[in-house]
Amino acid sequence: MTLTRHPLTRRTLVGLALAAPLATALAGTALAADPIRIGYQLPLTGNTAQYGQDFKTAAEIALARFNASGRLPVKVEIVFEDSRSDAKEGVTIARKFVDDPAIVGVLGDFTSGVSMASAQVYKEAGMPQLSQSASHPDYAKISEWQFRNITTQAGEGPYNAAWMLKKGIRKVALVGEQTDWGQTSVKYFADAFEAGGGKVVLTEYFNRGLPDFRALLTKIQRAKPDAVYTAFFYEDAANFIKQMKQLGINIPIYSTSAAHNQKVIELAGADAEGLSLTTNFMPSSPKPEVKDFVAEWVKVRGAEPGQFPAQAFDAVNIMLDAIVKSYPNVTRAKVRDALAATKDFPGVTGTTTFGPDREPVKQLMKVRIVNGVFTPIGE
Amino acid sequence: MSDFARKGWIGKILVLLLVFGLVPAALAFAGKGYFFQVANLVLIFALLAASLHLVTGAAGLLHLGHAAFYGIGAYVAALMGTDLKLGFIWGLPAAGLVAAAFAFVVALPTMRLVSIYFAVATLAIGQMINTVLLNWVAVTKGPNGVMLFSGINLFGFALKAPLAVYFVVAVLVSLSIFVLHRLSHSYYGNALRSLREDDQCADAMGVNTVRLKIEVFTISAFFAGVAGALWAYTTGYVSPNDFGFSTSILILAMIVVGGLGSLPGAIIGAVVLILLPELLRGLGDLRNVMVGLVMFFSILFMPKGLFGEVSALSLVRRGFGLKWGAAPSNREVGWQ
Repeated sequence: MTLTRHPLTRRTLVGLALAAPLATALAGTALAADPIRIGYQLPLTGNTAQYGQDFKTAAEIALARFNASGRLPVKVEIVFEDSRSDAKEGVTIARKFVDDPAIVGVLGDFTSGVSMASAQVYKEAGMPQLSQSASHPDYAKISEWQFRNITTQAGEGPYNAAWMLKKGIRKVALVGEQTDWGQTSVKYFADAFEAGGGKVVLTEYFNRGLPDFRALLTKIQRAKPDAVYTAFFYEDAANFIKQMKQLGINIPIYSTSAAHNQKVIELAGADAEGLSLTTNFMPSSPKPEVKDFVAEWVKVRGAEPGQFPAQAFDAVNIMLDAIVKSYPNVTRAKVRDALAATKDFPGVTGTTTFGPDREPVKQLMKVRIVNGVFTPIGE
Repeated sequence: MSDFARKGWIGKILVLLLVFGLVPAALAFAGKGYFFQVANLVLIFALLAASLHLVTGAAGLLHLGHAAFYGIGAYVAALMGTDLKLGFIWGLPAAGLVAAAFAFVVALPTMRLVSIYFAVATLAIGQMINTVLLNWVAVTKGPNGVMLFSGINLFGFALKAPLAVYFVVAVLVSLSIFVLHRLSHSYYGNALRSLREDDQCADAMGVNTVRLKIEVFTISAFFAGVAGALWAYTTGYVSPNDFGFSTSILILAMIVVGGLGSLPGAIIGAVVLILLPELLRGLGDLRNVMVGLVMFFSILFMPKGLFGEVSALSLVRRGFGLKWGAAPSNREVGWQ
């Protein structure tokens, strides 16, 4: 027997390998109607990846439920792009989203900085952008294309100030992280608190991720406030609270919805007891939409969702709702108008209405950690 | 080989054709803002890498705070554009000059430090400048960052089209790199290399090492500042996060991957490290792991870089013709 060359040469193999995906791609486009796409820019890697990963899970839950519901005859897809909370990546992604004619709206980014750098691109190109977490006071002012689904501190600060004044607190120390968000949180609170007759005895900022708060805490001790009002996220919150208890400072701590995260209780343990804050999302709420979302989330993640995933979940649903309203000829301009017209949207973070300034109007709740659980309180 | 070919004209013409012909033609043909953005980013980082090349590659001073000077440039351009209403024409040179002035001041005490001490000092300077950008709220607007709406306005012409912006960036980056090329491939560049090889020996030969270090640090910061102004004007928003330690390390990685001591290497490194993460977007979360692996293996297998100093210098020697070509010994020079 002579050795004959097998007809399937290497070259044909390579050719086949290249042709196969192409063929499937062609077949795919021929079969289904073109899907409508939403872009989602978020940090999936890097220092803030935990938030981006949460948003992604929330978006996937929302999208799967939407596509299963059959509210639209075509499928909606979400294109996730990793911005690493880096402005240069964010702007590049923004350009990429704008280039894709199938993308009619964009969600994200996580930080205000990246959201605002990208917003310059969206403003120029006319692309609706809805961030679940950008809280910079100027974000929504950039253009008529920017929306957000996070109550700004302009609402939360005065609400907290009124709450603390009502509790008889007259002297307060303010602590905020050195970010655009921390600064505005402190400012809005301080303005309302002082207008209501209270006194700010100390204002201090710290850089995010500070391991040792003791110097700052000693200053607080010296200023002898009735309570501390804090603008930080859960990592810093846990550290701050633990070290405060270690130094034996026993005054009430009030905070914003940003600290509303199960991890505070996990990380700070018993020390977290008594932390008071406002929120617009309670996983334990008996409302059916909240129960559904929490059940789905627990199935995927094994723990209860915090405030941010809930905001992302609602943001995705608000965007999908706007797409439904602009169907069948979905354009970016129509989606923008539909977003602007969002009124009493029933979400897991309460009903949402966009004001004329494209800021969400939401209901706030008062919560305190009692026996290791975030418990709604009526004060 | 004809004189024309020998002097490296072919290479130069090819590069110019690529930057001013092929790339813009391809960009205009594709008509995608995304590609324009990536192209501008590549050019800006090519300038950053080329300017760091002068300090770290040629003069051998490990500089870990380059992004801070890039940041100063970006902030100067952005703040002049918004608070003082002085546009691109003023903002660009001012960005370079202010960054250079800062570098000069910090160089005075630090340039007497050597090796690792210098590296730590620049690390500290970089962090200090970044912290000032973050915390000096009254001037820099702190973490809020600065929004710059004006866009590039050249002598009364507002340049809006992405192609026009690309050309402005490309012309400025090419001019800057040309200056850096003449600096690093000249007797001045040789003096810098003598610092790197043995600064005591250079001192003994009459080279004023401290002055030379201060000069090169200042020049490098000038071009980093120019790059910062280009970033501010092409993006429209600057915030302190973009100029932190990780950006310094990214620029350093560019010149190491490209080839320490090699100017073309620095540019190639910038192209690779900006394009690679973009090309790998399809990989999702694995993207950064892949970029890391590529860097790791490129250092492992090509420690002299993608385009090492030896090849770069012999290329340039050919280009300069007789004066360098007839060096007394035919020994090759560069990071060995």
